[in-house]
Amino acid sequence: MENSYSASEEKIIQDLFPQKFNRKGILWVIGLSLVCLIGLFAYYRQLRYGLVVTAMRDYASWGIYISNFVFFVAISLVGSLITAVFRLAHVEWSTPLTRISEMIAVAAILFASIIIIVDMGSPERFYNLFLYGRVQSPIIWDVIVISTYFVISILLLYYPLLPDIKILLQFKEKNGSRLNKFYSFIGSFWKGTKEQNRLSRNALHVLSVTIIPVAFCIHTVTSWLFATTYRPGWDSTNFGAYFISGAFLVGAGSVIVAMYILRNAYSLEHYITRGHFEKMGRIVVLLALLYLYFNVNEYLVPAFKMKKSEDAHLTGLFAGEFAPLFWFAILVGMILPILILIFRRGRRPLPAFIAGIMVVIGAWFKRYLIVTPTLLHPFLPMHNVPENYRHYFPTWEEWSIAIASLAGCMLVITILCRIFPIVPIQETLTEHHHQAILTEQNHEIAK
Amino acid sequence: MRSLNRNIAFLASFVFFFSSLVVFAQDSTKNSLNITLSFYNENNKIPYLGVKVKSKIDGKFKQISSIPLALYLDADSTANLIGKVVTDDNGQAVASIPPSLKGKWSPFTKHDFIAVFDGDKKYEATKADVSIVRAKISIDTSSDKKVLATVYELQDTNWVPLKGVDVGFTIRRMDAYLNINETPTFSTDSTGQASADFKRDNIPGDLKGNIVLVAKVDDNDKYGNLTAEKIVPWGSKFVAENNFDKRTLFATRNKAPIWLLILAYSIALSVWGTLLILIVNLIKIKKLGIQQSSTH
Repeated sequence: MENSYSASEEKIIQDLFPQKFNRKGILWVIGLSLVCLIGLFAYYRQLRYGLVVTAMRDYASWGIYISNFVFFVAISLVGSLITAVFRLAHVEWSTPLTRISEMIAVAAILFASIIIIVDMGSPERFYNLFLYGRVQSPIIWDVIVISTYFVISILLLYYPLLPDIKILLQFKEKNGSRLNKFYSFIGSFWKGTKEQNRLSRNALHVLSVTIIPVAFCIHTVTSWLFATTYRPGWDSTNFGAYFISGAFLVGAGSVIVAMYILRNAYSLEHYITRGHFEKMGRIVVLLALLYLYFNVNEYLVPAFKMKKSEDAHLTGLFAGEFAPLFWFAILVGMILPILILIFRRGRRPLPAFIAGIMVVIGAWFKRYLIVTPTLLHPFLPMHNVPENYRHYFPTWEEWSIAIASLAGCMLVITILCRIFPIVPIQETLTEHHHQAILTEQNHEIAK
Repeated sequence: MRSLNRNIAFLASFVFFFSSLVVFAQDSTKNSLNITLSFYNENNKIPYLGVKVKSKIDGKFKQISSIPLALYLDADSTANLIGKVVTDDNGQAVASIPPSLKGKWSPFTKHDFIAVFDGDKKYEATKADVSIVRAKISIDTSSDKKVLATVYELQDTNWVPLKGVDVGFTIRRMDAYLNINETPTFSTDSTGQASADFKRDNIPGDLKGNIVLVAKVDDNDKYGNLTAEKIVPWGSKFVAENNFDKRTLFATRNKAPIWLLILAYSIALSVWGTLLILIVNLIKIKKLGIQQSSTH
């Protein structure tokens, strides 16, 4: 195979080429796989004995599975932010982050689909959703929009990968035979001709435009699963925007976390620079402020009126059973990350990574707080019910399955990072080429 | 010796003082129960007994649940046991008079009902009773929409009309009884009869316009609660509004509103159409690559 790259380009390719797992990587994969296996065993028990193995009962019929689902859907929104919004806005510094965010988006939306099936008591009847589903139901809108977003995310990951596959196939000796076969299968047809480039460019443009409304839809519709139900805490016209702002925040936070881990694990300091943390940190501050604003709207306005029907729910959040989690989510998920990232020092890689972790953990608990406390405070009072119907604490099966889904999502991202370049090689080469031309022109002007 | 006696006396008074405290402490934690018994003879079927249990806690009467009671007819012996009941969340329980007590029920015109609570850690043992004289009520109607009720008392073996008993004339609705006119009760005359005019002409009935008239004697000190029912076609026919076959937001999927179908399908089709074009685009890119390979 002909390799017509300059020394600096060879260096870039070498740096960005997918690398085999080192010992830590292998342990990481084994650890995640074990967690997934425990989750699978718990799911086997759930299938065998039914949803009775969970703590979900008549009132709290949505527990941490649905919280996890909303969390995954939220994280998946990052694909549209980094890839589409930044691409259309010609934000060039985002190039090294596009692949990471798309991988996160694909893995998250995949597990959002899986966890929603896990929540079904009889998953073997899933097909009935398509046979008899009612188009009037927000649940059907969610099914449609999630499958649409999944396909768009796959395409948005796949199209920019094609030029990189060509490069990967030029270094067959570095890949194993299986990987070579896989690369050949998915992209050996890419020759980088003018026409192929034109078609690919147009497709990416169309995808970038299409994914934004679909991404907005996916999270708006998810919020409508709640908002179209008349219940304390969900009965809000603000829910769509509230969910989208939260989703952008957790997505951006997760990208910072992934950036830091991958940068250190694969020594990508020259590609994912301090500048990227600086810029992503600013974005997270903006998004956290926006989300905080929506939270003030969601909680302060009903609390000011304190309608009888919402009293128990709001009091439970502010000072009752759910208060520690509520204030944890607000403080750790929003206020502390803002306080860290608002300062230049806080936007260095390590503090930004810590802030990113806070955002992600806070966001998970926030989803739980949106879903479950409302269900435990119905408008009609609970009468003649067993005591455990009035509270919800997940069983070990639920924890195992929920944690396994998070581990599974990370495992998919890890495997994608092993197979494909984390930073797009071809785009980096092109940018490097443009940079070289610009530098040469500047030199000539200076002469 | 003297000091020893003094010490023993001191110790004894100390023990007595604390043991009395313990006894008082146990007594003071126990509340007394208030048991109310009511007798019911509905539509002259099997009579039954209703029990309500209350207790004064913190100055207020509260209904007490989970209280086990034994109910007896005439005497609190095993042979006279009507049944054992436990009060529900509202402090109430009911028990029908079993067929096994027919021999003790039928020959007599007057009966006593006894409720016995044996006491537990929280409440003192309590006993309550009520006496009733056997009576019955019948209901009839005339063509001019007049409702008649006759109340009888069992004297020896004969049913004798009763004078001066208050009878309510009602219609049975979903959760309550509605009076058939403005007057709540009517007193029986010397023939044991009371009558009232039906003035609820447009009241909804069932599909045929049937309603259930009920003549009632409520909480009578001597006779308990008596009712008699009669179905009459005096109501208006109920015509259910059925949206089953219409297009609504809550109908089946093929009955969704047209505007919603157009909107939802056009959005889905336009997005999936675009995606289809992009997938075809990939096939084009693949073909171009294969052509390029074959030309080289």
